[in-house]
Amino acid sequence: MNWNDVLSFARGPLFQAALLIFIAGMLYRLVRVIGLGWSRNHVRPKKSQTKGVVMSYLKGILIWPFVPWVKNTFTKNPIIYLAGGLFHLGLFVILVLGTAHMLVWKSLLGFGWKTLPLPIVDWFAAATIVAMVVLFINRLINPVLKLLTGTAEWLNLLFVFVPMLTGYIMTHHLFFQYEVLFSIHMLSVDFLLIWIPFSRISHFVFYFFSKSIHGQEFAKHGVRA
Amino acid sequence: MDGKSIFDELKEKGVSRREFIKLSGAIAGAIGLTSFPSVEAQAGTSARFPRAYQPAQLVAKALASKPRIPVIWLEFQDCAGCSEALTRSESPTLVNLVLNMISIEYHETLSAAAGFQVEEAKRAAMEKYAGQYLLVVEGSVSPKDGGIYCSIGGRSSVDILEEAAAGAAAVIATGTCATFGGLPKAKPNPTGAVSVMGLIKDKPVINISGCPAIPEVFTGVVAHYLVFGTLPALDSLNRPTIFYGNTIHDRCLRRPFYEAGKFASSFDDEGARQGWCLYKLGCKGPTTYNACATLKWSGGLSFPVQSGHPCLGCSQPDFWDGGGFYQGQSAPLSKPAGTLGAMAAGAGVVLGVGSALANKQQKKNAKKSEPGEKGGSHELE
Repeated sequence: MNWNDVLSFARGPLFQAALLIFIAGMLYRLVRVIGLGWSRNHVRPKKSQTKGVVMSYLKGILIWPFVPWVKNTFTKNPIIYLAGGLFHLGLFVILVLGTAHMLVWKSLLGFGWKTLPLPIVDWFAAATIVAMVVLFINRLINPVLKLLTGTAEWLNLLFVFVPMLTGYIMTHHLFFQYEVLFSIHMLSVDFLLIWIPFSRISHFVFYFFSKSIHGQEFAKHGVRA
Repeated sequence: MDGKSIFDELKEKGVSRREFIKLSGAIAGAIGLTSFPSVEAQAGTSARFPRAYQPAQLVAKALASKPRIPVIWLEFQDCAGCSEALTRSESPTLVNLVLNMISIEYHETLSAAAGFQVEEAKRAAMEKYAGQYLLVVEGSVSPKDGGIYCSIGGRSSVDILEEAAAGAAAVIATGTCATFGGLPKAKPNPTGAVSVMGLIKDKPVINISGCPAIPEVFTGVVAHYLVFGTLPALDSLNRPTIFYGNTIHDRCLRRPFYEAGKFASSFDDEGARQGWCLYKLGCKGPTTYNACATLKWSGGLSFPVQSGHPCLGCSQPDFWDGGGFYQGQSAPLSKPAGTLGAMAAGAGVVLGVGSALANKQQKKNAKKSEPGEKGGSHELE
């Protein structure tokens, strides 16, 4: 087997197929969820629901530990709070502000943007990898998480961890030949793209649905008399 | 030829002993000889072999004792660029003197004779040096449709190659067309082009890829064959590891800028003027194995990346189809066509709508059977 061929396959036909499955799968899920419909208000709520949605998003963004509504979450689950937060932040920085990934977006969307210097993205990547290891160990030993974790959850971790790790090693040209790591990186990304619509990683879209629904439901504060 | 050693022939041409020793040293350097046996292998035996063979001495010995190597040079679907690079090389001392170590019996571009005469000369050379000559192939072979797309003297390239390879000591494929198919093999490959190693299975084939192949690499391989009588160590794509052991990126003079994350974003921006890394402009250096960054071109003057152009990856298989030359290497080779994407999106929407309708029907049925149950949002994900 020649790694050049594997790489061309992973960057070419397999990536295309994975992307198409990803698009079809995500749209299927999206349409299906929208089709479930919002529950209708039979009476007018007391408070503005729009304001509730806005507040819900603001609360989702303002997640610093000193904010009152976060304090409780933070003190009860510091590991998940810190490692989880760092992981999501790192992932965003790497995928959107990393030069190599911006070039992927550019080739797909037709336009690019300024990126962060490599050393900065690099520190985010390192922190993200550490966060992933922490979350992995936490999942292994936390008795409640153990009950909630099945094959799908382990696959989620695997499919996100492999691209992350190979990407990091690749950028630094360590241990293996570049095209070998590049191939594994692309293969795992292809599998990740196919896996996302069928897994909880789809929360990167559905998070916004739950934020909106919860916001408008919780904002009602009873009925207007 | 005629039993005369290379040293004898050089002497006749007026090459002095001092020049000869200098040449030997240069050739030893070109093929990466340090000392033979290597310093590592000498460890422990230093008492018996105090300074075993010095590299220049080893080469000089070979040149003084061996006759010139007969070479038959075939060209098929090529541009003669590899021959051009070799003959117009800017390092005459090395390349020309190495070319003195071989006698080219047949070369379509260089031969003074033409037509039946030169074909006859080739046949005679193949008979005279059967089993001894090096066969150099430039350009890809076209077996498709009975070989009608590439024929010389009324014979197909496949026939000519197979006949010449049968009596060769070894086959050297020079240039990316001969090694991996190159431009003729690029999609859609109208002539069904194949590489030399795709056709010749019973002879050692050594690949010197590149578009064109670096002249010093070619002469290095020939010098190695002359000195040791064997072909140098090869990588998985049959390329000599002494020249193809590192990537362009590994030895690139712009590498520090890559490490620091300083990239040129266009050919005319501040980064380009400062000599920053060309990764964003599509440099294929990280996956390209060749000696450009160390041997360089035009007598060590420069090489593409040094002069501001990203590496095209010309020494790698299928580099014509390896994505846009000026598109970053991280980008996918091609994006799905709009129609395909629309079809996938359509399929997703149709499936989703179907599923949503089924859900609604289910909800209705559930409501009918359990009148007390209220539709809630608990099904939301």
